[in-house]
Amino acid sequence: MVALARKTLVHEWRRFLPAILAVGFAGLLQLLQAALVLGIFGSASVYITGSAADLWIGYPGTQSVNLGRAIDPNVEARVLMDPAVAKVEPFIWLDADWRGHADTGGESVFVSGIDPQSAGLMFAHALPPALRARLEEPDAVIVDRADIDKLGVAIGGTAAINGHTVRVVGVSSGLRALGGVNVVSSLATARELDTDPADGGRPTYWVASLRDPAQAGAVAARLRGDGAFGPYEVWTAQGFARRSVLYWMLDTGAGAGVLFLAGIVFLVGAVITSQTLVAAVAGSVREYATLNALGVGVGALRWVVLEQAFWVGALGLLGATVLGAVLLALARGQDVPVVLDIPVTLACVVLAMGLAGVSGLAAIRSLRRADPASLLR
Amino acid sequence: MNASAHPSVVTLRAENVAKAFVSGRLRTQVLDGLSLSIEAGELTLISGPSGCGKSTLLAILSGLQNVDAGRVLALDSELGQLDRGQLEGFRLRHTGFVFQGFNLFPALNAREQVELPLHYLGLSRERARARAVHSLEEVGLARRMGLKPAELSGGEKQRVAIARALAKRPQLLFADEPTSALDAASGQTIIDILHRIARTHGTTVLCVSHDPRLIGHADRVLAMEDGRILSDRRVSASPAPHLGTPS
Ligand SMILES: Nc1ncnc2c1ncn2[C@@H]1O[C@H](COP(=O)(O)OP(=O)(O)O)[C@@H](O)[C@H]1O
Ligand SMILES: [Mg+2]
Repeated sequence: MVALARKTLVHEWRRFLPAILAVGFAGLLQLLQAALVLGIFGSASVYITGSAADLWIGYPGTQSVNLGRAIDPNVEARVLMDPAVAKVEPFIWLDADWRGHADTGGESVFVSGIDPQSAGLMFAHALPPALRARLEEPDAVIVDRADIDKLGVAIGGTAAINGHTVRVVGVSSGLRALGGVNVVSSLATARELDTDPADGGRPTYWVASLRDPAQAGAVAARLRGDGAFGPYEVWTAQGFARRSVLYWMLDTGAGAGVLFLAGIVFLVGAVITSQTLVAAVAGSVREYATLNALGVGVGALRWVVLEQAFWVGALGLLGATVLGAVLLALARGQDVPVVLDIPVTLACVVLAMGLAGVSGLAAIRSLRRADPASLLR
Repeated sequence: MNASAHPSVVTLRAENVAKAFVSGRLRTQVLDGLSLSIEAGELTLISGPSGCGKSTLLAILSGLQNVDAGRVLALDSELGQLDRGQLEGFRLRHTGFVFQGFNLFPALNAREQVELPLHYLGLSRERARARAVHSLEEVGLARRMGLKPAELSGGEKQRVAIARALAKRPQLLFADEPTSALDAASGQTIIDILHRIARTHGTTVLCVSHDPRLIGHADRVLAMEDGRILSDRRVSASPAPHLGTPS
């Protein structure tokens, strides 16, 4: 088969370049936007994704990690009764006010009180054992590398949280918070910092690891139904992380923003791409008409145009992938939170190829001018 | 006058065809009750001034346009009875076209131009290639098969277009002003190739042109004016084709 579509694309690449760029930029914009949104809102669930727990047990109806309320300590006993559970650990999450010595006003911080022992579940992925061990010291805290300037302290420096003096014993990376600053301490220190009498030293969450993490869904369902130990709800780590991210995306309107931009990008890309393809078809309309005179059906000619659209899409995506990889690597190096997962990447690919496809379909209509009778003069 | 050696076979027949174009309130009757028959194995030239309806007649005889009245019989089909898909199928199997413009794809070399329609005939890659090469040799382009249109002269481009039509092995070959975009020498080469195709393949070749220089190269000349055939004569001693005769 003579590869008419492909050869024309190569021969007249200048003509097709705008379409390739349009598809490429549409894909790239969408990809970067998704990566940024996922990265930024992913930090809403950093407590979950940075930890080794398989189950999260919290106050019923909690929409996002940062909205937790103290729960009954007796829930621990109920969770431990389940033979699938390997380990249960408390987690304290609280809002607090940070004041550094520079006294530039207060900074809103989120204190995470965790079990600092090396086998602890909380922040198992984010804090190496040597670093967590330093939290054993009373009033020791760890903050994220990216926040240290904002807080106006250095390692070894002191500051006040809710009026209580703390000392920064180390910095972590990848613990940036959404709408504030994360501060990690031991459970004991966190209880000292908690000024809300209603909490009474109770944990905000219990987190559990399972003997077989694959059973998380079944165990969560099994534990959910029991109210005898006071009100609580059980989520899988993955489910609770998604719940937290979704809450933020919907609450801030970012989700609607993503969809809105996707629509705009699709529309603008499709207009440019279809116009380019229409012009390409118009440029070859006499040749197409000749093929039709020789008996090549209109259906076959349509395929040629669609194939051209496909190659435009594929080339655009190739460019977007290369450029996107470079930009994402650059962003990571600058501590810009960017995250990409396979479903979102696939969605961007589908968007770009869909754009090319729709443009191809639009261009097919201009084949109507390929009337062989018009070649007779 | 000229008694053919073989009995003539009519492959193309128009019976009382009429065709008018309406643009706005103006109605132009281009053909009005025209009848003719055209035979296989010879080059028939329809000659006449511009605007007399030659191209319209060719479009009707080849199934590119339908008639207002009358009927067209091509081979064993009545073209008016066929729908769009059937007409495309008929053209694919039986007809070749050569136009005034060469209409070659700028991205393809000569061999690919000729090969392209053959794939739609269902020919395998190898057979399509072999046929394309053979047809290009037949029009004298054996050494220019790898060249793209931009690298060919006008006459060579028209020969590629002829090879593209010829490679399908059509029974009917239509040419509309095939020499009008060419200089005299190239035009003569083209008309001689068409003539030779009719003779060697038994193809029905119908050529329409306003160029009187072609008259001497045809087997039969129909003079047309104002949508009517004025005269129909056979050129008794048609000159031997210029390019090499088959041995
Ligand atoms: N599609 C069309 N619409 C309107 N008028 C047309 C059309 N095609 C041809 N005509 C008219 O029909 C007449 C014959 O045209 P044509 O067959 O092209 O003549 P020729 O090929 O002999 O020069 C001309 O007057 C032309 O203007
Ligand atoms: Mg004409």
